[in-house]
Amino acid sequence: MMFGDKKVLARLDKMLEDGINGTFEESDYDETQLSKLESKWLRYLTSSKMSAQKTEQERQKLKELVSDISHQTKTPLSNILLYTQLLQEQPLDEQSLVLADEIRAQAEKLEFLIQSLVKTSRLETGTFQLAPSENNVDDIINSALEQIALKAESKHIRLVYIRENYMAKFDSKWTQEAIFNILDNAVKYSPEQSTVTVIVQIFEMFACISVEDSGIGIAEDELPHIFGRFYRGQNVREQSGVGIGLYLSRQIVEGQGGYIVAESGIGKGSVFKIFLPR
Amino acid sequence: MEVLKTEELTKIYGKEQNKVTALDNANLVVKQGEFAAIVGTSGSGKSTLLHMLGGLDRPTSGKVYVENKDIFSLKDEALTIFRRRKIGFVFQSFNLVPTLNVYENIVFPIQLDGNNVDEKFVGEVIDILGLSDMQSRLPNQLSGGQQQRVAIARALAAKPAIVLADEPTGNLDSKTSQDVLSLLKVTGQKFGQTIVMITHNEAIAQMADRIIRIEDGHIVKGGEPNE
Repeated sequence: MMFGDKKVLARLDKMLEDGINGTFEESDYDETQLSKLESKWLRYLTSSKMSAQKTEQERQKLKELVSDISHQTKTPLSNILLYTQLLQEQPLDEQSLVLADEIRAQAEKLEFLIQSLVKTSRLETGTFQLAPSENNVDDIINSALEQIALKAESKHIRLVYIRENYMAKFDSKWTQEAIFNILDNAVKYSPEQSTVTVIVQIFEMFACISVEDSGIGIAEDELPHIFGRFYRGQNVREQSGVGIGLYLSRQIVEGQGGYIVAESGIGKGSVFKIFLPR
Repeated sequence: MEVLKTEELTKIYGKEQNKVTALDNANLVVKQGEFAAIVGTSGSGKSTLLHMLGGLDRPTSGKVYVENKDIFSLKDEALTIFRRRKIGFVFQSFNLVPTLNVYENIVFPIQLDGNNVDEKFVGEVIDILGLSDMQSRLPNQLSGGQQQRVAIARALAAKPAIVLADEPTGNLDSKTSQDVLSLLKVTGQKFGQTIVMITHNEAIAQMADRIIRIEDGHIVKGGEPNE
């Protein structure tokens, strides 16, 4: 054995042991091979511990749970909706009619929630694959606008879209859903008679779809949280919603190498920007 | 997991009546994978803070921990090596080596450290930054935005603990700036890279997951991660 080998081996052994115990720390920074090895070891421990173990376990649990919930609630939920409709067809007094309407509204909300949860879960676990390809953003914006038109009309909200024919790489079906969710929020949180504007911009690497509303706005402190699952803003309690739309939208857009940002302030309206890679 | 932490970080320039406290007991924490923006006007102390976080200058008092290491406990030579390994810098002025082509610039810090290039990872980085077709070009054959994309690739390639971006779009027009910021954002997302960006521009800061506000050497908002 060469001089110094023993010391190096002892140090390596300690590194491994500390790594296993999660207490590893680099001793010093110098030009020796051992110091470089320490750096590499810490990098390895950090990345592997973080990504592999934690996410895998949590995802597996979530996947099973969500799949169980969605599967087991499907039939009873359909039945509740069916019986509610039957109930509404009965000769009811005024108060009972109000209650029946409320049951139906809540059941529909629950159905929407479960559908969205199943979608996010399947996207997260890779059961549904996003398939980005070269597409025209105009097509999906038009489809999403058609989808929201009726709801906007009922609030006399004007939808303005400045048409552009730009190409980007995205999965049409899913990205349309992401845009629809953003539009749905814009219409939901905007006052009657206001305007929701869609603008497309093109950059060298990305295409950006902005949805601008003149709604109640979002406080700066809340902005970082709005894309979280089940997050509902402080000022939107009176609006129906489950806090899954933005989360799903983000999953869809990030899954294709893009991102979403929101700019807002209380009383200033909001701008949601979807960036898609070109 | 905390990647970066400061404790009562203070920097005082000058002495006695010429004394200027550029940074006053600054405390902040940045978690693994966060994209944080430090925002302040010129003279707010943000550049001083950046220099401390990157180990470019020593504080008067207080501590900076990077991956739990108290970096100013290191001697100068050790600190230089630490910087090379742990911090990926992206400056306003790109700072590419003019005689090296795009690919060589990107892997330069890895080779300087005597390490083998992780070709698969570097290939992915080059691809996502849209540099695949220009790998053999020299920096002077690139636009400003493209040069900054190379600088981002170089910062990411060595898989540092933190990418420190100092006014990364300061020399770019607004359209090109948007692309550069987008790329910082998506590479952060994709590779789980921790990014700390310094800017005076409010609109640019909005791109980050969290905004840390600094005024007169004090961190006035956002020093703690979003839960």
